[in-house]
Amino acid sequence: MADVKHTLSLGFGASIVKKKVSLPATEARPWDATSELKVVGTEVPRIDGHLKVSGQAKYTFDVAVPDMLWAAVLRSPHPAARLDSIDTSEAAKQPGVRAVIEVAKRGERLLFAGQDVAAVAAKRPEQARDALAKIRVKYETQPYVVETMEATGERAPVVHQAPVKERRTEGDEPGAGGGGSLRGNVRPLPESARGNVTQGLAQSDVVHEGVYTTPVQTHSALETHGLLVRWDSRKSMTVWCSTQSIFSVRDEMAEVFGLEPRNVHVITEYLGGGFGAKFGASAPGSRLGFIAGQLAREAKAPVKLMCDRHEEHVCTGNRPDSHQTVTLGGRRGRLHAIEVKSYGTAGIGTGAGVGRNAIGIYTRCPNVRVRAHDVFTNGGPGTAMRAPGHPQGAFALELAIDELAAKMKADPLALRLAHDEHPVRRYQMQEGAKAFGWEEARERSAQGRERQARIRRGVGMAASIWGDFGRAKAARATASVMRDGTIEIKNGVQDIGGGIPTVLAQIGAEVFRRPLSTVVVRYGDSEYGSSVGSGGSQTTSSVTPAVRNACEQARGELTEVAAAQLKVAVKDVRWDDEGTAHGGGKSLTFAQVCKKIDGEAIVATATRPATYGHEPMAFPGGPMVQIAGVQMAEVEVDTWTGVVRVPRVLAVHDCGRVMNPLTLRSQVNGGVILGTSYALMEQRVLDNDLGRMLNPNLESYKILGARDTPKIEVLLTEVYAGNNNTGAVGIGEPSTIPTAAAIACALFDALGVPVRSLPLTPDRVLTALGKVPAPGSNKATLARRRIR
Amino acid sequence: MSEHSKLTRRGLFRGVGTAALVSGCVKRTGTDEPGAAAVVSDTTAPAQIGPDPVPLRLTLNGQSQEVSVEPRTTLLQALRIDLDTTGPKVVCDRGSCSACLVLVDGLPRNSCMMLAHDVAGREVTTVEGLSQGEELSALQAAFVRHDALQCGFCTSGMLVSCAALLRRHPRGQALTAEAVQDAISGNLCRCGTYPHVVAAVLDAADQTARQAAGNAIDGKAGA
Repeated sequence: MADVKHTLSLGFGASIVKKKVSLPATEARPWDATSELKVVGTEVPRIDGHLKVSGQAKYTFDVAVPDMLWAAVLRSPHPAARLDSIDTSEAAKQPGVRAVIEVAKRGERLLFAGQDVAAVAAKRPEQARDALAKIRVKYETQPYVVETMEATGERAPVVHQAPVKERRTEGDEPGAGGGGSLRGNVRPLPESARGNVTQGLAQSDVVHEGVYTTPVQTHSALETHGLLVRWDSRKSMTVWCSTQSIFSVRDEMAEVFGLEPRNVHVITEYLGGGFGAKFGASAPGSRLGFIAGQLAREAKAPVKLMCDRHEEHVCTGNRPDSHQTVTLGGRRGRLHAIEVKSYGTAGIGTGAGVGRNAIGIYTRCPNVRVRAHDVFTNGGPGTAMRAPGHPQGAFALELAIDELAAKMKADPLALRLAHDEHPVRRYQMQEGAKAFGWEEARERSAQGRERQARIRRGVGMAASIWGDFGRAKAARATASVMRDGTIEIKNGVQDIGGGIPTVLAQIGAEVFRRPLSTVVVRYGDSEYGSSVGSGGSQTTSSVTPAVRNACEQARGELTEVAAAQLKVAVKDVRWDDEGTAHGGGKSLTFAQVCKKIDGEAIVATATRPATYGHEPMAFPGGPMVQIAGVQMAEVEVDTWTGVVRVPRVLAVHDCGRVMNPLTLRSQVNGGVILGTSYALMEQRVLDNDLGRMLNPNLESYKILGARDTPKIEVLLTEVYAGNNNTGAVGIGEPSTIPTAAAIACALFDALGVPVRSLPLTPDRVLTALGKVPAPGSNKATLARRRIR
Repeated sequence: MSEHSKLTRRGLFRGVGTAALVSGCVKRTGTDEPGAAAVVSDTTAPAQIGPDPVPLRLTLNGQSQEVSVEPRTTLLQALRIDLDTTGPKVVCDRGSCSACLVLVDGLPRNSCMMLAHDVAGREVTTVEGLSQGEELSALQAAFVRHDALQCGFCTSGMLVSCAALLRRHPRGQALTAEAVQDAISGNLCRCGTYPHVVAAVLDAADQTARQAAGNAIDGKAGA
């Protein structure tokens, strides 16, 4: 079929332009700035809300099938050890135990405390855990290293003795990754640069350099990783899995057990959070899929394996830490050079890169160089976590820019505006500053510093960059019009909590002009057609255009049915807003037309083509929309106790065409709250003397609670990007990128001195104010000796 | 090898723990409450129950239930595994997140921190018990309206905390956002639903107050 030409009205705010696109005939005419939509873009409460508030929603953790056994995994207590021997015979005799397997092999090197050793399946979860105590294992402990910068040293124990295979998931940013050869524990990542940074710094009249550190953060989804495996025959299985990617679970189980993917049925009806760690049947640091499947095979019964909270912290992934040296050069009042050199550890895994913001946001800075390195340590592997690499990078660069601005006596907002070319982000900075009361607030904080007030306030801002990674042909959607007038939409996507089923129902209601209550969405099941993982903020932009195409095609067929009944040509049928068909002076209600459908239903299946537009600006390195975001935060700090509070955050974001402002605000709130938590309290603590995590729980691994939550105001700058037929782009990740950075900048504004390490804990604030000695300093060492 | 050298949790219960635990929970049940005919009836002798499953009776969401569980089984596990009531969630399993919150005789309790036998003869209400059949309570409906949930895994516990708040809040007194934040300060949420939860609870409280006021006016008119 020949392509069809469309002229679209694209852009944002007052800057709408006309663009011509040529699209396949199967692609619905894209919604643009002129489209008047009735259901899409309105506040629709989520369609499964009543099930979640009444306890009826069944998550993987809740699913039970007849004769189901419970599994538990024995994990290595040592950060580095060789497995000498293992004896599971006693465990096999314990009450309720039906199968025991060895997961690690004799002679294998175990690389972190928490690595799989053996596993048990028993009738009750308590019995399975009891039986683990009866497994006898002999380990030969080996030297280990858990501290990032220590691991870069020449004498540090080497974690990986062979080149490391990258583990990439749909949660990783497209284009990221790759790396040079391993030296000791250090693996350089691909360098990105423009101009000449060495020369740029030499030409600068003001140079600022600082070292910025961020901690390892764990995903801490409330539902732990886990799955239930039931073998349905020797060649087929059903898997209920707490996953954010049903199809990567299917493929992994098929590969591990030598099955055809079509014979692996995966179900994730409800999912208790993921945040990037739940791709695949296994966790990044534990072969959960293999363990559950193998135990089920040996026990000849379905097996459920759910991690406990300790396991969730140590072996299911984390956000790598970072140690970033940022050097900025200012020349004649302008930002002239940015250099970022970073080291970060993803434990035994890869992916500690940062710096996309440095190269991608302040594009009017002529000289930039980013050199990042993965550092291997004996810790559980990191993995993608909500905007991998970005919150770390934003924290270091944005705080450094504020420090440079202070040295240059420039306003940090003005300095950013002068170097950012993205029209939407510039608009967001300007509008945000007005809404937030930026100038007045900066004035107030200056007065607080002047007065040396005990309680001080400060404000800061930071920017985010993300891309529209919506994928072509990844999601295949089916739309059916039933004879009873019901519209059914099917796709195997899972709902991570963003509310995608509700948005799909809105698309159906919009296309057919029917009440939402007549649209049924079937999802969360591999039998419902291929789909994408909930990663890269790509779900809505990958799935909604496919659903719309399927709906439009089904509607086309329904129009033919109506035309035949009305005895007019198809082009002469007109549907009104009640879903009634008119033609030839006659009318048929939607129900009357549907009754005339041959067979049970009209069924149409469709996908979406590659992204075809990126108005007003592309993401660096690809012809896709660059998503803009700016956040401004206010902090209140007690300079006597060092306690930092965040009373308010303004989040200004672009996410293309807004599908549902209600669920969208939820997602943005979530991004800001996660970022505030990262800024103020979260940190994985690995004990140097034991090589184990000291806080693998939720009472000493702190996450933000209701009392700590800022007042969040969300401003949406709707953009008609012309990227796909619904105009959706993602928001899950962008909304958490700038928060911690903005808070750190606000703290700098309040104190006049920077705190360059996250989390911004009282001890660090007091150290920055010179009220207590810095850890590791001579004074601190002396003080510690006295205590001992 | 002596018995003590291979002391397990089960062994400990068998030797010393169970009697104390069980007598403790039986004493609290009283005898005149409905459903209090505890299966373990001898409250004075150190009853030797377990380690195998022992029956107990409780009132769950208004229904009398009998279930047989080991003395070491937590209320949370008994609800989820033995009573097919999976609204309360396992998240931390040690009382730090409130995802497993239930009402025991009307008071919010972390069900992971209680043994099932602790509630013998008592009334337990889970999130499933907050609605009347298919009809959501005003609070639950407000949660849906305000999108006070995302993944939904903390939602059961949030609702139980908030239902308890609305029950104990004095009638006729306006509820503040701070009071709601206090009430849910033990409920951890990773998706970031706190602001919408606060809005939902304030709305539900407001609605209930207006309804009560409306009823009072109606009542006067009728009298």
